[in-house]
Amino acid sequence: MQMALRGVWQLKKLIVSYCDWGGSSRGIRLFWALLERELALGILVNNMLQGWAFMESELPTFKEKNPQLEVVTELIRGQHPHLKGFYKNKNERVVCVKNMTPEDILLYATRLRNALGRKVVKLKTRHVTKHPSVQGTWTTDVKF
Amino acid sequence: MAHRRCLHSALLHATALISLKKSPPLSIVKALTSKPNPVITTSNLEPSWFIPWSYVRHFSSRKSDDSENEAEMEESSDGEGESDEMASDMARDYSPEEKEAEAAAIGYKVVGPLQRSDRVFKDYEPVFAVVQIGSHQFKVSNGDSIFTERLKFCEVNDKLILNKVLLLGSPTQTIIGRPILPDAAVHAVVEEHALDAKVIIFKKKRRKNYRRTKGHRQELTKLRITDIQGIEKPEIKTDGKPLKAAVKKPEKIAATA
Repeated sequence: MQMALRGVWQLKKLIVSYCDWGGSSRGIRLFWALLERELALGILVNNMLQGWAFMESELPTFKEKNPQLEVVTELIRGQHPHLKGFYKNKNERVVCVKNMTPEDILLYATRLRNALGRKVVKLKTRHVTKHPSVQGTWTTDVKF
Repeated sequence: MAHRRCLHSALLHATALISLKKSPPLSIVKALTSKPNPVITTSNLEPSWFIPWSYVRHFSSRKSDDSENEAEMEESSDGEGESDEMASDMARDYSPEEKEAEAAAIGYKVVGPLQRSDRVFKDYEPVFAVVQIGSHQFKVSNGDSIFTERLKFCEVNDKLILNKVLLLGSPTQTIIGRPILPDAAVHAVVEEHALDAKVIIFKKKRRKNYRRTKGHRQELTKLRITDIQGIEKPEIKTDGKPLKAAVKKPEKIAATA
C-alpha cells in the first residue's frame, strides 16, 4: 500500500557472508558437518556446543520461517563475517557478526528482518498521525 | 583446536558406547581424554560400568559432556537441565498463561499473525481513542502509527488488541472511562521491532581524570492502529465510503470470534 509495512515485509534479501578460514567466522561457519550429522542422530540439545554452526543449523530454520525472504550465503575469504540486508525502499544495512555465537547471529538476522529499513534518526514524536484532531483543534476562541 | 580434540574424543566415546558396550575400548577412550580421576578409570568393570560413567561427566570438560548426551538417557536429561538453566539466565521461560498475564498488565493481547487474506487496513474514520500501553498514553485514531517500548511475546505482523482504553471520541460524542472502558478495544498490528537512535551517556567528574562514555539504544515497537471498537462511527459523506462500512461489519465479527 505505502512505504510502511502494512503487512508487507520490507526486508527483501539477506546476504550471509563468511570466511571459510578465519576464526572470527567460527560461529557462522559450516563447522564439522560430519559431527553435526552425528549429533542429529542423538538428542538435539547442543546449543552450548562451541563451534555449532549457524549456517548448518539456524540458517535453514530461519529460511523456513521467512519464506518471503531471499537468503544468500556468500564466501569472502579474509574478511570478517557480516550480514547484509536489502530493503524494499532500496536501503541496505550491514551488520558485522565477527566472533559471535550462532544465537547472537540469529538475533541480529531477526533484527534485520524486523526492521523497516528506514534511516535511524532520533524520533521527534512517538505518535505519527495524518489526522491530528477529530473534534477540532482547540484554540483560545473555542467556547463550550 | 582444543575443543575439536575434545569433541573428537567425545565422539569416540559415543561410538564406543553404542557399538560395543565392552570395557577395553572404553578404557582406551578414557586414557585418551585423560580424566583427572584414577578411581574411575580403574573401576570400569563389566557389570558396573554404567555408574562410574555417569560420574565421569562431572569431571569432564563442558564441551565434551554436552556432546555426550546422545549416549545415555540419564546423561542427556542432565544435559538438558543444564541447557535450560543457561537459557533461563538469559531470558526466563514463560508459560502461555504468564505471557498473557504480563501482556494484560501492560495493556495488550496478542491475537495471532496477520494473514494475507485479512483486510484490516481501512480508510480513516473520524474516531479517536486514548489508549494506555505500559505507562504511556496515546491518542490514536485508525491509520496512526505509534512507537511503544518493546512489547514482549509478539512478533512482527502479529495482531494485537489494546484493551486499556481510557477515552473514546467521535465528532459528536465522547465516552470517558472510569478509568477504563471495559468493552472498548483498539486493534493494532505490530509493524516493527527496532532500535531507537543511539543515546550517548557521558559521565565526567572534574579534576579527577574520570570520564565514562556509554552508548544506549532503546528497543521500540511500532504499532499501526487498524480499528477502534466501542463507539458508533459516523457516516462518511462521500458516496464510496458507505460501501466500505458495509464491508467492514462482517470483518469485525470475524475479529471478535
